[in-house]
Amino acid sequence: MATRAVIGGAGITPATSPRKQTSSSLELIQEAVWGALQHSGAAPDSLDGIVIGNIDGFEGTVLGAKHLVRRLGLGTELPVSILNTGGTTGGNLVQVAARQVRAGDRRRVLVIGGPTFFGAQDLQSAINTNSPMIVEQPLGMGAYHMGAFYPSAYTERFGATVEDYAVSAVQDHEHASRNPYAHLRNTMTVDEVVGAKPLSYPLTMAMVCPVSTSANALLVCAEGTTSDLRPTPVLIKAFATSSDPYLGGGKNDFAAMENLAILAQKVYQLADVRDPREEIDVVEVFSPYAPMQPMQLEALGFAPPGGGIDLIRSGATRIDGDVPVNLSGGPLCTNAGVAGELAPLVYVALQLMGDAPEAMQVPGARRGLAHGTGGTFFQFENLAILERT
Amino acid sequence: MTTTQRVHWDLTYDVHLGATWGRFMAGLTEQQILANSCPECSRTFVPPQAYCESCFVRTDEWIELPAEGVVEAFTVAWQGFRGGPTPPYAIAGIRLDGASTLLMHYVGGLDLDDPSAVREQIGPGTRVRAVWAQERTGQILDITHFEKI
Repeated sequence: MATRAVIGGAGITPATSPRKQTSSSLELIQEAVWGALQHSGAAPDSLDGIVIGNIDGFEGTVLGAKHLVRRLGLGTELPVSILNTGGTTGGNLVQVAARQVRAGDRRRVLVIGGPTFFGAQDLQSAINTNSPMIVEQPLGMGAYHMGAFYPSAYTERFGATVEDYAVSAVQDHEHASRNPYAHLRNTMTVDEVVGAKPLSYPLTMAMVCPVSTSANALLVCAEGTTSDLRPTPVLIKAFATSSDPYLGGGKNDFAAMENLAILAQKVYQLADVRDPREEIDVVEVFSPYAPMQPMQLEALGFAPPGGGIDLIRSGATRIDGDVPVNLSGGPLCTNAGVAGELAPLVYVALQLMGDAPEAMQVPGARRGLAHGTGGTFFQFENLAILERT
Repeated sequence: MTTTQRVHWDLTYDVHLGATWGRFMAGLTEQQILANSCPECSRTFVPPQAYCESCFVRTDEWIELPAEGVVEAFTVAWQGFRGGPTPPYAIAGIRLDGASTLLMHYVGGLDLDDPSAVREQIGPGTRVRAVWAQERTGQILDITHFEKI
């Protein structure tokens, strides 16, 4: 039987705005790396690989990841893999590390997600460079506009209101208030979310993620090689990705996350999950725009089509509910680029280890789901099922 | 203590369109919206594409689509970004008649002053028609915008 990959440690730095951040990217990454090593108990010389990512152009360099690794203080011999898949980079870091371990090529790989939204003076214009050139970029389509197309179609099919789209934002903020690492830790009411500055119909400023700075790191190890590590290892039970066409206009249906639903079927089959609501104890989805979250929960099988908002309203997705969602506060409250994309995997791993910050720990969580997505219209999805061993 | 310093990029690129998008852009200068279709699944792509992403075969037949269709998804941007259009502006995913994909474009001629009144103006299901630029040079903005029919 092939080697399985487990997560053996995690490091997180507290998040803040670029304006308040006094550390450099390198310093934040060093803090996350050394945090992960300390959490795991792994000796630096036990590592045999690094997987790190960046997003071209977002940091005023296309060498972001490459020039950092030699300055981490982990020696000069570690092989480095560099990923650059935009909004899915963070999730793909773990996928690649897990594949290296499962292939038998590496035994202990450090995964590093840095603060890649750190530098751009106008992040919207930087993100707009990732929009398909020639046919979509000249149309004033940047990033938050893309998050607005979904609710316009969802409203047409299911009759959801702007107030409905606010519920996941309210809940994310409530959860973030319990997370010491979150960037926005204020609580909000539905009225405050709806009444915030209009951004792109039907999104208000409070339904859109902040620009954060933080770094995250995860240690991915071969199963059975973690006896020197302190945390309970968390098995990467299943991990897969799926893509829609590159052009936003290639998506078939904006009222449903069809691509994610297809991916979920595949991943649930790999992980032998038959009833996700019954069998999954903790969920982190990547919903930087509040209306995405209920739609993602539908695609993941936690609610029927059109039922995602009712699911959140029922309290099932709160910390004391049967399927807690985004106890970290999610990207709506902390989004630091590649670090933010890696965060769902970091938080779910910590939950399953029992090492999440006390105020947000789900007692006895055994199986978790971590999701990531990117592309200007979220054409690209990644999804993992993690299990406490 | 200063912990930031500013860096600026000023670069210009030429993007090589290739045969498929080159033909699409040439069509726009003639006020034609050209699409192509997959020989296996018969889906029709606009903008056209050289391969069908579902069937993994080369597209073959070229057809001209009517410059009319239906809005399926939209937004109105009230905040701009550097280098972008001046807000407010409306953008939509438009299903041209006979197309299997959406064409993204501006929708013009709307009153965007009142956020609560935009949905009734360009909500999904609204029929729209392309408005052509006087001077056309082979780019997506040879259609200046779509307008309600």
